[in-house]
Amino acid sequence: MSISHHPSEATLLAYAAGGLDEGSSVVLAAHLGVCPDCRQAVRVCEAVGGQMLATLQGTGMATDALTRALARLDTPVPPEKVPAAAPTSLGFPLPHALSPYPLGNWRWIAPGIRHILVLPRRAGRSGLHLLRIAPGIALPGHGHAGNEFACILTGSYTDETGRYRPGDLAEMDTGDEHMPVADTGEGCICLIATDAKLRFRGLLPRLLQPVIGF
Amino acid sequence: MRPQPLTDEAAFAALIRRIADHSDRAAFATLFAHFAPRLKSYMRRLGAADGLAEDLAQETMLAVWRKASLFDPARAGAATWVFTIARNLRIDALRRERPTEALPPEAERPEIETAPGAEAELITAERDRTLRVALAVLPPEQAQLVQLAFYEDKPHREIERVLGIPLGTVKSRLRMAMQRLRAALEEKS
Repeated sequence: MSISHHPSEATLLAYAAGGLDEGSSVVLAAHLGVCPDCRQAVRVCEAVGGQMLATLQGTGMATDALTRALARLDTPVPPEKVPAAAPTSLGFPLPHALSPYPLGNWRWIAPGIRHILVLPRRAGRSGLHLLRIAPGIALPGHGHAGNEFACILTGSYTDETGRYRPGDLAEMDTGDEHMPVADTGEGCICLIATDAKLRFRGLLPRLLQPVIGF
Repeated sequence: MRPQPLTDEAAFAALIRRIADHSDRAAFATLFAHFAPRLKSYMRRLGAADGLAEDLAQETMLAVWRKASLFDPARAGAATWVFTIARNLRIDALRRERPTEALPPEAERPEIETAPGAEAELITAERDRTLRVALAVLPPEQAQLVQLAFYEDKPHREIERVLGIPLGTVKSRLRMAMQRLRAALEEKS
């Protein structure tokens, strides 16, 4: 898999620091699962976190803190929750990061565009979506009022910034505008986290937006 | 920043190994004395009240004990490993439901040939020391943003608002910071 679009250093750092919300983390993890370079970069970021921790001035723990900790060492470990295996019925391999989430069926939202809502958007939390765009279909041009991360799972699309293939990560910030067009051939499925409403340029897409839920 | 001797870093890794191999409670107590107060500070800086910060420090140390056999000194130094456990516990505490193991197991395999035990501990400790020196000499405007990433838990948009620095500048400063740190590590290896 040749990957040409990667997250910014700022995003990798935020991921390593634990500062990305759930939906965004899942999209990042989908990219990291197939991108050794970014995994390595995250590892360096985590080492930075380690050094931050090592050089922090400590805050006094309660006087019996160690005694309490030692007393708990022998308590049995609660069994780890095993996440349900990812459904395979969608007809393509899902990234490991999606495995804890039950997925519904594809829902039609516009001609050539289908959608699965994985996590609804809430205040301060990105929505997480799977989007399937039929070959040659253009998403309505839209701007971003917040952050959006998209990882391509199958197929490809092209927008003003280039062509996005499986594993590529698109990072959009406030004010960025684009009009992705699924390349002809097999269409495109991507995993998208977005923390604000998209701003569609045309009237019709704006009318459709409440239906789409983006 | 108070630099620590290289041997300390490797010594912490060796203590984790003693927990894994011998369930060594004295080794745990030494690690606890060093890391628990720092973990509490970390949690407090991220906004946890005193009681919650103390609990999360406790939980992190308990996880250090339970997961000691998973510690791989070739992948990460002791402080880094403890940091990642603390980070994940904090995320869990905030979210309750979250992809705890977001990466496939095969992505977690070390990609470099690794030296076993004590040798790996020294190599990693050396890398961490290089990193610490590189962090200490980052230009202040870059160092500030790296700090914020770990301690403020604010999206970059929020940094833009609070510091009055445009998002593009935030991103380019962080890119330069990470490039410097990586360059320092590559120079050494």
